[in-house]
Amino acid sequence: MSSSNPNKPKLIQNGKRISGRSFTDLRPLKITAGVLKQADGSAMIEWGKNRIIAAVYGPHEVFPKFLTDNRKALVSARYVMAPFSSLEDHGRSGPNRRSIEISKVAKHVFENVILTNKFPKTIIDIHMDVVQSDGGTRIAAITAASVALADAGIPMKDLVAGVAVGKVDGELVVDLDKLEDNHGESDGAVIISPRSGEVLLFQMEGLLTPDEVKRTVRLASDAALKVREVQVAALKERYAQVASEQGEQLL
Amino acid sequence: MMSEENNGEIFMSEKRLVIPGEKVADEPIRMDGCYIENNATYASVVSMAQDDKVVPLKGKYLPISGDYVVGIVSEERFSGFTIDINSPYEGQISSRELRDPLRVEDVVFVKIAFADEVNNAALTDLRRLYGGEILEIEPVKVPRVIGRNMSMVSMIRDYTGTDIFVGKNGRLYLKGNNSALAIEAILKICREAHTTGLTDRIKNFLESQAQPRENQTEPQQS
Repeated sequence: MSSSNPNKPKLIQNGKRISGRSFTDLRPLKITAGVLKQADGSAMIEWGKNRIIAAVYGPHEVFPKFLTDNRKALVSARYVMAPFSSLEDHGRSGPNRRSIEISKVAKHVFENVILTNKFPKTIIDIHMDVVQSDGGTRIAAITAASVALADAGIPMKDLVAGVAVGKVDGELVVDLDKLEDNHGESDGAVIISPRSGEVLLFQMEGLLTPDEVKRTVRLASDAALKVREVQVAALKERYAQVASEQGEQLL
Repeated sequence: MMSEENNGEIFMSEKRLVIPGEKVADEPIRMDGCYIENNATYASVVSMAQDDKVVPLKGKYLPISGDYVVGIVSEERFSGFTIDINSPYEGQISSRELRDPLRVEDVVFVKIAFADEVNNAALTDLRRLYGGEILEIEPVKVPRVIGRNMSMVSMIRDYTGTDIFVGKNGRLYLKGNNSALAIEAILKICREAHTTGLTDRIKNFLESQAQPRENQTEPQQS
């Protein structure tokens, strides 16, 4: 396992993580909604060193037509990493085995929150492009895509938000960066719907005790509420900006 | 307990922005941009909420029976035409409804006769439009452009001398010499759609930019 790696740095010193954060601190997080003109909705997330752009198109007609569902809208999600997104080689651009899996789980997350029955016979395209990566990109991508969906005016039950929780040097920590991800004992990606508390995605690797799994979900739920605040702020900035400008003009 | 108190405060009168998943009422109310769960109403799209009225800020047009829309003929079929109505769904009109056949890319003002449960729109009462301009805006802003009892659109018509066909689908057709000013006014309405006192501000804007039609026609006659 990675813990036996001789190059492994000491990830926790004096109760602080290698990045200087406490166990439950998030990395600096910023979301900007409406960064693309052409898309129906879009968002960019800057989470630590992660930079991800999410774009939403639709709902629109389904091609090829035989895939059409007469009862609900289909959701297609596409997560890809740019070849230049990290120090490691990501080869040629386009989806690979890993990103196809992440696209699939992201699709299932959004199928659970989008009110797909409002748009029968259509498809909603969600694109998540990782431009720069530093661990926890699937969470960041889904968080950004959720804002992009809201920006596109697609009816949803909730803004989904999430965070990665993992075990590093024997401690459960929130929002792992790349070093902790690569050298930790375990890492789990959790997406929740903060309104209902439903867990929409939980992927884990490494080993955790049943008790630690429960704590993971609890830590992730708490952190997701903080993430949601940033999402809401991004949407408010996008839409309320106009309102406040007008208000000032009125005065 | 806490939430009830908060809601009591929030629902006083202030307009506020609501985000998908935010509770807008403690009772089930069927509204645009909302869904009902556990006997409460939640917003499903980014909207402006005031008391328990919710107005979505964005969204695609869905065909509703009785709406008039501006469409573009996209395809000729065996027994009629397919018309793009600026929506995820298409409109269909039978040749029997038409005196003359249409051509692809014709611009039409048309009524939605019937929209079924999967949003297929059957069209009727078609009228071809020639030689004007098309302006596309957010479909959710259309009621503001029309105004109460058409007050806004007729004001723009009077001040700019422009014929305006407003489609509920967010497509507008304008024809007239001063359509540039009309477009500017409409875009201003869209930008400020959620503010109050809009009609007065648009009136001031139009007054500063143009003369009402009566005044405008006088010099031409003399």
